[in-house]
Amino acid sequence: MTDRVILLVEDNRDDEELTLRALAKSKITNSVVVVRDGVEALDWMFRRGSHASRPEHQVPQVVLLDLKLPKVDGLEVLRELRANDTTKLTPVVILTSSLEEQDLIRGYGLGANSYIRKPVDFTQFVDAVRQLGLYWLVLNQPIPG
Amino acid sequence: MTDRLRQALAEVSAAASAFSEQMTDYDGLLDAIADSCARALDATCTLGLFGDDGTTITPVALTAVRPTVEGLEGMLRHPRRYDQSLVGQLSPETGNVFVPEIELSGLRDRITPEAFTAIEQFGVRGFISVTMRVRGEPLGVLTVIQHDTTRPPLDELDRDIATYLANVAGFALANARLFRRVQEELIGRLSAEQVAERTRASETRAIQANAFIDAIVENIPAMVFVKDADRLSFVRFNRAGEQLLGIPRGELIGKSDFDFFPKAEAEFFVAKDRETLRNQQMVDIPEEPIQTASGTRWLHTRKVPILDELGESRYLLGISHDITDRKRDMAALERARDAAEAASAELEAFSYSVAHDLRAPLRAIDGFSQALLDELGDALGETGRGYANRVRSSAQRMATLIDDLLRLSRVTRSPLRRQRVDLGELFRSTIAALQRDEPARRVEVVTSGDLITRGDPRLLSIMFDNLVGNAWKFTSRRELAHITLACADTEGERVFSISDDGVGFDMAYSQKLFGVFNRLHTDSDFPGTGVGLATVQRVVARHGGRVWARGEVGNGATFSFTLGDTNAT
Repeated sequence: MTDRVILLVEDNRDDEELTLRALAKSKITNSVVVVRDGVEALDWMFRRGSHASRPEHQVPQVVLLDLKLPKVDGLEVLRELRANDTTKLTPVVILTSSLEEQDLIRGYGLGANSYIRKPVDFTQFVDAVRQLGLYWLVLNQPIPG
Repeated sequence: MTDRLRQALAEVSAAASAFSEQMTDYDGLLDAIADSCARALDATCTLGLFGDDGTTITPVALTAVRPTVEGLEGMLRHPRRYDQSLVGQLSPETGNVFVPEIELSGLRDRITPEAFTAIEQFGVRGFISVTMRVRGEPLGVLTVIQHDTTRPPLDELDRDIATYLANVAGFALANARLFRRVQEELIGRLSAEQVAERTRASETRAIQANAFIDAIVENIPAMVFVKDADRLSFVRFNRAGEQLLGIPRGELIGKSDFDFFPKAEAEFFVAKDRETLRNQQMVDIPEEPIQTASGTRWLHTRKVPILDELGESRYLLGISHDITDRKRDMAALERARDAAEAASAELEAFSYSVAHDLRAPLRAIDGFSQALLDELGDALGETGRGYANRVRSSAQRMATLIDDLLRLSRVTRSPLRRQRVDLGELFRSTIAALQRDEPARRVEVVTSGDLITRGDPRLLSIMFDNLVGNAWKFTSRRELAHITLACADTEGERVFSISDDGVGFDMAYSQKLFGVFNRLHTDSDFPGTGVGLATVQRVVARHGGRVWARGEVGNGATFSFTLGDTNAT
């Protein structure tokens, strides 16, 4: 039985907590794995380094990716995911506070599936998370296999 | 050897030496040829020379041994067609004719009537014509005519003597011509040099003596110098030049650049001088360094050729402005501008980063206040819940403020791209968006005038969000509000205006309207961040336009703006 996991790449503990709360409020029941920098995100995705022992049945259904990350930044993580055959089709949603035009252009250019700016208003944030959960976890039909 | 032959040899030899003596006197040589030939053969002798194209022949010398042959003299110096001369008619192929005894009856049909008449008239008994050639080129014809019927007719020896004389005469003529040409050239050159010398002398006098020009040149606050075109030595120098170089003109006149400046510098100056004189065109040297008594100075120099009446470059006029100070000021200005731009860019980056990073804690404040309400709402009580909600609304308000600042920063940073924009359409779509958020509001919208212009659509859209948004906001207490967009030509400038019949403002504060964070209303009256009009002003400024406002408390407001040169890109 595969476990459809949400991978949350977030270095800010407050944002992590709030995102988890928003997911819970949106009645999204998938398990959420949290990693705190770009290197860890790639390790988990590729089952290497500190996450070499990640159970194989844990399949990332969607990656929620912050852009400003320690060590390796979000856009670099996205580039590597897209360059690899096993991860190039995994849905990646950029979740950031940046509304810099360049970040948007480069994010989409590297193959991001969505770009969401975290609203300050928590009510709006919950709304956004509910919508993206509904779309990527319920409505969207993943590639077979 | 017969006496006759010996005598002929003596005559021919005398002729040859006479020819070489006449080498330097062309006309004298022509006469000497005819004379020698007549003496050697004891007969009348004429010499004719071909014209340049070889179709004419001109008799140039005649020596008659018997009493004058009338009429022959008159033919001298008159060119005639070669093909109508006796030789030309009788023997055009060889150019040589030997007729010891003329038979008039046989000749009549072979020559023109004029030639025939001449033969009759001059009493020609027999004649020899020999063409003189040098390296195959015909120069002329030597003709020996015998009139005397009492003597033996002309014979082969006479013909051979005539032929020999013609050969020698031909070479003498060719040499004499060469000599004459060389001499003419030498004379011509000499006189040109004399003319030039005289011209130079008078020009030098003129350039030294003209007091009027002196006064001008002396008092021009730029270095003025004149160089001789040949030697490039200074012939004039003005006071400003002396002061600039720190060298008295007495030391400069007659010297060249190499006497005062480092070699490389002097070579540069001289190269530019030569270029000016060669092309006979002004050369502009925007910047050149020069070593002076007070160190390196920078000059902007123009070099002009001065020509004589023959069109030759005679002098070089140089005018140099000392641009050292201006150059230094420009450099300082440039450095200051670079520094200002760097500082401004840094500030923009900083403000963007601050605005960006400030949002994260705000999210936490808002989010955890909500978490508090969710988890402990009941325990907080009504007052507690009120406080938590005020924390949230403050955080959200600050977020709005930050977003406005971000937008303001973006308006400043993004490049301006003008294209066709329909402000009327932009106006209506902005109103439509506001109406969607507040469907209950009743607002009448009017547009007038030509509202098509050229501007950056993104920036204009941000500007309209603010201007139209303000009009919408400040008319919110009206049952039926009116918002107008109009365009009018004022003093050749297109002025756009957005007017409303809202609460207006006191003109005393009109100067404060466009400052960042400046507000004329409390937030409880009309919410706002005080960044909107600052953003509007930046958008207008980016377009090179102006914005101003008129208003009256309780009587609406009008914001007018221009968009600069709308034809710019």
